Amino acid sequence: MQVNLLGISGSPHRHGNTETLLDSFLDGARETGASVEKVVLKTLQYSPCRGCNACHKTGECIVNDDAVVLYEKIMASDCLVIASPIYTMGITAELKGFIDRQQYLWARKFILKTLYFSNEHIKRHKGIFISTAGLGWENVFDGAFPVITALFNTTGFEYFDNVIANDMDRYSGIRNHPAALKEAFEKGQNVVRVIQKLKNG
Amino acid sequence: MPIKILAFAGSPRRFGNSETLLDWVLGSMIVDPDVIVEKVALDEADINPCRGCNACEKLNKCIQRDGMDIYHDKIIAADIILLSSPIYCMGIAAQPKALIDRAQVFRSRKYVLKLPVVPLERKGKRLGVFLATAGQNWSYVFNAAVPSVKCFFHVIDIKDTDISYLMINGVDEKGAIDVHPTARTDAEKLGKSLIAEIKKRLAV
Repeated sequence: MQVNLLGISGSPHRHGNTETLLDSFLDGARETGASVEKVVLKTLQYSPCRGCNACHKTGECIVNDDAVVLYEKIMASDCLVIASPIYTMGITAELKGFIDRQQYLWARKFILKTLYFSNEHIKRHKGIFISTAGLGWENVFDGAFPVITALFNTTGFEYFDNVIANDMDRYSGIRNHPAALKEAFEKGQNVVRVIQKLKNG
Repeated sequence: MPIKILAFAGSPRRFGNSETLLDWVLGSMIVDPDVIVEKVALDEADINPCRGCNACEKLNKCIQRDGMDIYHDKIIAADIILLSSPIYCMGIAAQPKALIDRAQVFRSRKYVLKLPVVPLERKGKRLGVFLATAGQNWSYVFNAAVPSVKCFFHVIDIKDTDISYLMINGVDEKGAIDVHPTARTDAEKLGKSLIAEIKKRLAV
């Protein structure tokens, strides 16, 4: 059975470090037989969540734009790969704006109880976070992890793995990093094999 | 000289919990005749996200022309800067994250171009405040927001030790904060203590 993999790039900077790392991951996944789609948030039209809580009553977002279409795609994927550089110790405002829009799904799960993911479903749906940071600090990704965890939890994906590389300023870019691109490629291969096994087993 | 206070209300929901918390702090400050308060609702401030182009590392200014043209100067001029945000999906809302990321121009000025952000004589005479509310009751619900906030204040020359925090969890629906047992008292106490502290520092 075909593995559907969706990669989302949250960087405003086209073909920079993070998107290059994502591309390497997607190449690995494609080579292993997955059907791969890549979406660049910067090219979409959507607004951040307004915090109006209308979805708490209806389970639908009152803003009808590209964000809702992308959430439908996410829900139809076996593997969700979210990529963002670290800006000011967190994910980009573009990606945060998109993730905040998941509120209508959260409302379906926890308020309206119309959406439920079985443990079996969650196990078969893998989430990956890809990120780069200019700073070399060990804790530079810590502000991003809880937000990405929230996204995977709400959309029914198991937080399977990270592909992260810090200290980009010192390396002068991802292409000079000794291991990151290869690691991304191999992790792209690996997750597809794992999902294939789950789907066929 | 008046004490200049600049307050960013970060929530897209006007007059909700985090903005109410901000208003309580501001309310206890504005009663002082030496104080001038400007409050900005970020949802209406026309501040685009950072494009990550790094042009500010060379130009010492942002290539985007938007609301930040105004707030850049106001951020430098203010004695006390407050930022309020709700927690959405375990982080600050996207609107205040855009403001924080646009402070990259100050970071470039400070660390790449090695230029002052505020004049030397104003260093140590600026205070920062982060106010947040969260629907969830978890004690760790603010953890992911704080590092970004610290960076924001750091690059605009407000030291870690000069940042005050008031973060209230367990308030979700509009108005929930009104019945919180301590939020209002703590907010008003904070506002008064900030004015006392800044007066002390500006007098030196």
